[in-house]
Amino acid sequence: MVLLIPKSLEEGEGLPEAEAETATGIENPSGISFQKKLIAFIVSFSVFLLLWQLVANESGNSLIVAGPLPVFQSLVNLLQNHIPLIARGAETADSAILETLEVIVLGFALSVVVGIPIGIAAGLYRSVEGVVEPWVSVVYSIPIVALVPVIYYGIGASFTADVLIAFLFSVFTIIINTQNGVRYMSNSLAEVGRTYGATSWQFITKIVVPASTPDMVTGMRIAVGRAILGAVLAEALIGETGLGGLMMIFQATFSTSYMMAAVVLIAIMGILVLQVPKILEHRLFKWKETERLARM
Amino acid sequence: MDRKLQSNLILAATVVLFILTWWYAAAVKNQTQLFAGPIQTAQAFAQVFTNPTISSQVVTALQVTLVSVFYGFALAIVVGIPIGFLMGRYVVADLLLDPWVNAWYSIPAVAFVPLMMNWTGLTSTSTVLIAFLISVFSIIISVYGGVKNTSSSLVETARAYNASEGQVMTKVIFPASLPNIMVGLRLGLIRAIEGVIIAEMFFAALGLGGMIDFSADHLDSALSDALIVVLAIVSIALSLALKLLSNKAIAWKESESIHRL
Repeated sequence: MVLLIPKSLEEGEGLPEAEAETATGIENPSGISFQKKLIAFIVSFSVFLLLWQLVANESGNSLIVAGPLPVFQSLVNLLQNHIPLIARGAETADSAILETLEVIVLGFALSVVVGIPIGIAAGLYRSVEGVVEPWVSVVYSIPIVALVPVIYYGIGASFTADVLIAFLFSVFTIIINTQNGVRYMSNSLAEVGRTYGATSWQFITKIVVPASTPDMVTGMRIAVGRAILGAVLAEALIGETGLGGLMMIFQATFSTSYMMAAVVLIAIMGILVLQVPKILEHRLFKWKETERLARM
Repeated sequence: MDRKLQSNLILAATVVLFILTWWYAAAVKNQTQLFAGPIQTAQAFAQVFTNPTISSQVVTALQVTLVSVFYGFALAIVVGIPIGFLMGRYVVADLLLDPWVNAWYSIPAVAFVPLMMNWTGLTSTSTVLIAFLISVFSIIISVYGGVKNTSSSLVETARAYNASEGQVMTKVIFPASLPNIMVGLRLGLIRAIEGVIIAEMFFAALGLGGMIDFSADHLDSALSDALIVVLAIVSIALSLALKLLSNKAIAWKESESIHRL
């Protein structure tokens, strides 16, 4: 059975030598100043708002596209727990946010606890790899969303079902990245450990884990994103609970500006949650140095 | 015992264990309409090929899905590779686009579904656009990483020999970042398939995703499970084809790996 999935899952980590670089994240490329970045962001953000307004004017129907101002107003209303009359049955925003976060955290934690040991074992031992890899590569190639009806009708629309889906979305990414980190760690490190007679346990905890931590963290970073996708998707598709459910309820009741506000809320949540591990990465792996191409 | 054989035996044992667990869970649940066991699923899978009504439905659905995947993925390649190159090579493009690419990449794709439902309706256009939005950022990020991390010694050598910017791009940076581009494409394809299926599941009327959802909602979980198997086979075949292609393209790259136990 061949591994169907890309060797590594993000930012050009297809090569072991590229891995060391990208796993550290790219901090301040070519010495671009923070001010320049800020100005560039303000410029591109203004262009984005302008385009959005133009599209809204062009459509001329606020039920199809609401402009940035009404969406912002709805977002403020949502955060103050005002729900439009037509969607009265819906949850308030704070309980929806809380529920979605719970699903994400539980699903993600479960996939770390399950994924990392499996990944390490598969990276170290050929016999484990021979068992794990076929399963992982098959399941990874299937859109997990197809399993949602099975889970829904199997265990019913419940919090457990949402967590299970978030788990399934994220666990394989963690297994694959951990396995790759272990497998492509420097041979010289492993040999030093063996030469000095490290026991298997010492070998794993003192050499393998630190050497492959950047890959594990990369895997976890991607996995958080997957867990968010799984959580929101499960909520939107089955129970209509949480933020995903809120979004679909607003969609179905033509509360377009509220629907778009919920989308913005989900987007902000995704962006924020993904920034946390990125910042951690910068802090943790500053010691990795890279040579970089001078650009124009 | 031979290690390869041993590992294959364990693998076979896990497959058997999986089927037994599934069978047991279905027996405990004892509601075939809601949760079919392996035997009913196998029967439904056979029906997909033998029953002309079902198989013609499946073929039509599969066509719709594959066409959407194709257009979404093709669009993502055409848009994603040039943007990745621009961002990797020119600081201005990097400055303007990087926060956006990262932000959009972080948005859970399902958030695009209600927007598209409003804008382009429950149509194939929506599925294509959702597939595109999901896969394009993976491609951009991979290409960007490859171009940006092209070794400067390669580029400087070319420069020293008076290569033009166009030559540097096509003869140095492109081959050097090809492995990253291929990783991006393989990820992008998986994402595009996922995007199409997500959209179809929500629309519940189109393609294979719609058929899976529809049959599950109409208490035919055996057919729904069988269709998941069909979907799995198709996705695996597509990924495998692209993997072979990418292995061909980057066969010249070698890697050192740890000697394992």
